[in-house]
Amino acid sequence: MTSAEPSPTLATESLALSYGARRVIDSLGVSLPSGQVTAIVGPNGCGKSTLLSGLARLHKPESGAVLLNGADIQNLPARTLATQLALLPQEAVAPEGLTVSELIRFGRQPHQGWLRQWSAEDQRVVEHALAAAGLEALAERPLEALSGGQRQRAWIAMTIAQQTPLLLLDEPTSALDLGHQIEVFELVRHLACHGRTVVMVLHDLASACRYADHLIALCEGQIVAQGAPAEVVTPELVRTLYQVDCTLMIDPDTGSPLLANVRRASP
Amino acid sequence: MKSSASDLPTSAYVPERRSPPVAAPPGYWRIAWQSTRGNACSLLIERRGVAVSAGLGVALVCACILYLSLGSMALAPSAVLPALFGRGEMISVFTVQELRLPRLVAACLTGGAFALAGVLMQTLARNRLATPGIIGIDNGATAFAVASVVGMGVSLAPPAMALAGAATAAALTFGLVAGGGTQGYRFIVAGIGVGAVFGAVTQLILARVAIDTANAAYPWTVGSLNARPGDAVGLLAVGLGVGVIAAFVLARPLSLMRFKDATAYGLGVNVKARRFQVLMLSVVLTALAVAVAGPVGMVGLIGPEIARSLASSRQVPLVASLLSGALVMVLADLAGRTLLAPIEIPVGIVTAVIGGPWLLWILMRPQRSHA
Repeated sequence: MTSAEPSPTLATESLALSYGARRVIDSLGVSLPSGQVTAIVGPNGCGKSTLLSGLARLHKPESGAVLLNGADIQNLPARTLATQLALLPQEAVAPEGLTVSELIRFGRQPHQGWLRQWSAEDQRVVEHALAAAGLEALAERPLEALSGGQRQRAWIAMTIAQQTPLLLLDEPTSALDLGHQIEVFELVRHLACHGRTVVMVLHDLASACRYADHLIALCEGQIVAQGAPAEVVTPELVRTLYQVDCTLMIDPDTGSPLLANVRRASP
Repeated sequence: MKSSASDLPTSAYVPERRSPPVAAPPGYWRIAWQSTRGNACSLLIERRGVAVSAGLGVALVCACILYLSLGSMALAPSAVLPALFGRGEMISVFTVQELRLPRLVAACLTGGAFALAGVLMQTLARNRLATPGIIGIDNGATAFAVASVVGMGVSLAPPAMALAGAATAAALTFGLVAGGGTQGYRFIVAGIGVGAVFGAVTQLILARVAIDTANAAYPWTVGSLNARPGDAVGLLAVGLGVGVIAAFVLARPLSLMRFKDATAYGLGVNVKARRFQVLMLSVVLTALAVAVAGPVGMVGLIGPEIARSLASSRQVPLVASLLSGALVMVLADLAGRTLLAPIEIPVGIVTAVIGGPWLLWILMRPQRSHA
């Protein structure tokens, strides 16, 4: 299914991001494919989360720009940006006692105003987000009472209710066990199937290979490889990124790369 | 999940021509109308919030009647209302209208202002301990205002000096944690330090002036409704009115600022600008209240705490905090006036006696984890 309106493009142009004096991302130019799932991978401290916050305008660039449909996002009003781009930060925290549907309703915020607090559209979109995330039965449960995977799906449902063509996720599965990770990844795939552009930071290369269409491998703030996982993931890349050796295989069911016999790199 | 979800379009969805009736979300009333320009308008009113505020309002009215009837000359509650409107015995009319009513008004206004400032600052810092009283803003306002009361330094009126002091303390606290953000204990600890310095400045000023002047300023430094300057009360009334309107305008971003900055930002809140506005509002409300009653900062902690325990977590309990603060202030001053009569306990001491254990309880209580 494709969107009627042209899908937006998100790209960076010689982007530099710093923390104080430390430059984390340097002159990075990248373009994120529309309607696909892009995974940003790399070792700890390589700047992948920083890049994501830069893309979401949480981090002001030292130089260069993030371009949304060719326009610098620094010049967009916060609310306009929030109708184009949704962000799920790492380890998001909600006020105590909030229920699933209350959380999802906050996703409507950029579309609402003081005299437009709850429209028919809002109601339909929230019901739809609940259904898309498979949370109808849990709608009135407090978030604290959910499992990790359900809670993460509730947060993603909030970003679905935001109805943005672009969705940025920062390590959406970092604290989840395998079953809950799969719940979240399948939801992400489902969203991409329906025309959303998803960008997620992942620390697990194996999941990135399995669920992403496009991979961006970062090392010390520089792109070392980008493209479809099956094309760019090689034992050499794995060694560059994580200093480990591995045997690369092809998943017989999905055709995506599989890492086997992962061990510390021999010097 | 899969079968029902897969046939639902996600971003490519076309609004229906004929919309189905809209139901309010659970726990809300929805008011909808067409504006003159044909736009569909809608308001959501949270039911629990209305019930809590109504309950607190009734409690406050009862406390006010009690306040007006009790004292060195006790009146029957039934005699209070006629006396309020100038009917009944001359002496009761005088007691109610001239002696007790202005003080009651000051109690309601200061209590409301302290508590509203408290809930704003707590939301801003995402920390229940971060009230203006604890992070030193009360003390800053007091130090500057005392300097003005005892006639040192610039000859500005106490409200202006309190405002300057509160702004100075806030700037110092925020300056000390520059870059560290307003979250976490660093901010609180810096605030406590700033508060301690300004507390010492107040003591130093009092030590350097003539004993009579210091004596006159003393009840005011612990927080009292005894020596309330009339113009400061008027200013507070105006300030609180404007503050309540501003808080209502900020209510929607405030409810999002309870999330992480990144989440609020992602939902279209201009976090930096809003945070500055909320901070300013909190500082001004605190300063105006300090100029009337001195540092009764505990109300800024107790009021929002009561409100939060009664209200739902759907929004920031602004009205409930305001009403709880006024209620606490009225009851505390009533206790201070009557418990040890004819000796009067300053209201700041009464609230500290209640607030101290309360603070300990907040610190010791096991935190419920939430993610």
